[in-house]
Amino acid sequence: MSNIKIKSKNLNVYYGDKQALFDVNLDLNEKEVTALIGPSGCGKSTFIRCINRMNDVIDICKVTGNIEMDGMNINDKDLDVVSLRERVGMVFQKPNPFPKSIYDNISYGPKIHGKGETKSELDQIVENSLKKSALWEEVKDRLDEPGTSLSGGQQQRLCIARAISVNPEVILMDEPCSALDPIATAKIEELIDELKKTYTIVIVTHSMAQAVRVSQKTGFFHLGKLIEVGKTEKIFKNPDNKMTQDYITGRFG
Amino acid sequence: MTKEERLKKRHRAEKRFRFYGLTSIFVALLFVVILVQNIFSKGSSAFKKTVITTEVFFDQELLEIQNGASQEEIMEADFYDIMIENLIKAYPAKDRDEEDELLKLFSGDAEIEIKNAFLEDNNLIGKTITLDLTASDDIDQLHKGNYPRDLPEERRRISDFQLVIYDYFVENKKISKNFNNYFFNNGDSRDPELAGIGGALVGSFYSILICLLLAFPVAVLASIYLEEFAPKNKITDFIEININNLAAVPSIVYGLLALQILLATIQLPRSTPLVAGITLALMTLPRIIIPCRASLKAVPPSIREGALAVGASKFQSVFHHVVPLALPGTLSGTIIGLAQALGETAPLILIGMVAFVVDIPSSPVDPSSSLPVQVYLWSESAERGFVEKTSATIMMLLSFLIVMNFIAVYLRQKFEKRWN
Repeated sequence: MSNIKIKSKNLNVYYGDKQALFDVNLDLNEKEVTALIGPSGCGKSTFIRCINRMNDVIDICKVTGNIEMDGMNINDKDLDVVSLRERVGMVFQKPNPFPKSIYDNISYGPKIHGKGETKSELDQIVENSLKKSALWEEVKDRLDEPGTSLSGGQQQRLCIARAISVNPEVILMDEPCSALDPIATAKIEELIDELKKTYTIVIVTHSMAQAVRVSQKTGFFHLGKLIEVGKTEKIFKNPDNKMTQDYITGRFG
Repeated sequence: MTKEERLKKRHRAEKRFRFYGLTSIFVALLFVVILVQNIFSKGSSAFKKTVITTEVFFDQELLEIQNGASQEEIMEADFYDIMIENLIKAYPAKDRDEEDELLKLFSGDAEIEIKNAFLEDNNLIGKTITLDLTASDDIDQLHKGNYPRDLPEERRRISDFQLVIYDYFVENKKISKNFNNYFFNNGDSRDPELAGIGGALVGSFYSILICLLLAFPVAVLASIYLEEFAPKNKITDFIEININNLAAVPSIVYGLLALQILLATIQLPRSTPLVAGITLALMTLPRIIIPCRASLKAVPPSIREGALAVGASKFQSVFHHVVPLALPGTLSGTIIGLAQALGETAPLILIGMVAFVVDIPSSPVDPSSSLPVQVYLWSESAERGFVEKTSATIMMLLSFLIVMNFIAVYLRQKFEKRWN
């Protein structure tokens, strides 16, 4: 049994008057892929945005309860979100490379965290990040071209490279393949399989098949509540809850 | 109604709409053409001035300086007698009265023009040179065909005898049109042939420069703060409404404000580009903030999130990513704001820029005119020569505005990223 990396206890999230998450208790295991599934608007994305405090951006959002990473309370008001986000990277639904060169896209993170002091160190980080995200062979000769000139799948891998460039411990993925075609999706899934050796990964997905393919653990959300969580195999073959059963068999959602 | 009838009706409605659209575009273009044609036909002649080719003999007896005199000596020397002696030889006049009428055909600066020739070459004593001396406004307008010579003499500014001299000049090819350097180099003058927009150009330049230096940084910082950092609450809503209101305040109100605060209370020097610049900056501020905020808003949130997610602070995400992307829109908004400020007249009249200023300002605290105010001043003048000067000034002003707007459009189209 692997160690617990992130632990949420009675996590509640409110957007103004509307409550988006209800008492979520979910543990994420280290160096494992956890998939979060559930119909749209059920709180999956809200949950992962709590892990890197991305909800801070939204003025009306209020988070109560506990969420811990290695025993450190992420929800602590005094916590420095900059150093938190250095440890918890994120990949978004729609690829969002900076409108800069491929090189600058990846070197930006290390630069602001003071990780690449010299040009050669930065070069090394860029190369390693691109290799880890399986993009190096495709772009090594055109690192100064804009990141936005790549195809959708390449852009998403560039965003993954950008996330791992600062060497995080956790990577959050918010429907990373929803804007991609099946071939690009397959590449990203392969990549996730590879990345889980080094990183703890949480992936939000609408594709049951994807959850089965990439994850070891699956949590099912519905209307802001975590209905059921368990080993992926169990959730998809023999769920305890009737609602989970209905959702994975496509009876609602 | 059958299906075919309904279909026909729909087609007719579309045709009608296209017709209305085309008509309105045509009418709008027609007005532009009439305006431009009117200004050009009146103003283009102001870029040429009429000159009378005159032989000038530098007689030692009439000058108190020698060949090789220094600059200062020449500047102080009197060239009046030389001027008179040479000008009256331009036409065989019979008596003193005729000579007076002949002299009136030259501009008031004939003496200075002769002196300038001597300044260029201080070995002219005893020599004769040919100079193109500026003609008076009346001859200028007559030669350009703006002056009706078939009026009865008592209703003309030019006497019958002067017409005879003019015809003699034309016959002997002594009169011609040159590029009007006075129009660009001189300040204002009571004599239309000597009046120029040099002072107004420099005054406008200083005003706009001060306006830019004050308004741009304040507007950009205010926009960035309001758009990216300020909490969204009632206070910021209130500020936003008031910025929009300020942009709609008539410019003359800013003039009154400047009159009271800058001139009466702080006692800044009146009629100066400094005060004009500050006034225009107040007026331009909301007009820059609005497009600046719009272009910040147009940067997609995903860019901010991307930066934040790799651990950039709020400040870094804004200044490394959002601001550079919003810059083209901000700059083009600024240029358009400045173009509006350049054409602004009312507040400048209130702060005293409407004064008659002959000297070209050498600093922003010298009294000065500005281009739109110069248009206003000259359009009120009675002399015929000022009509073409007014239109020519409008042409200059319009060409600056067109160039500025072109730069704004270019910046936006060339550098602005499109998101889709």
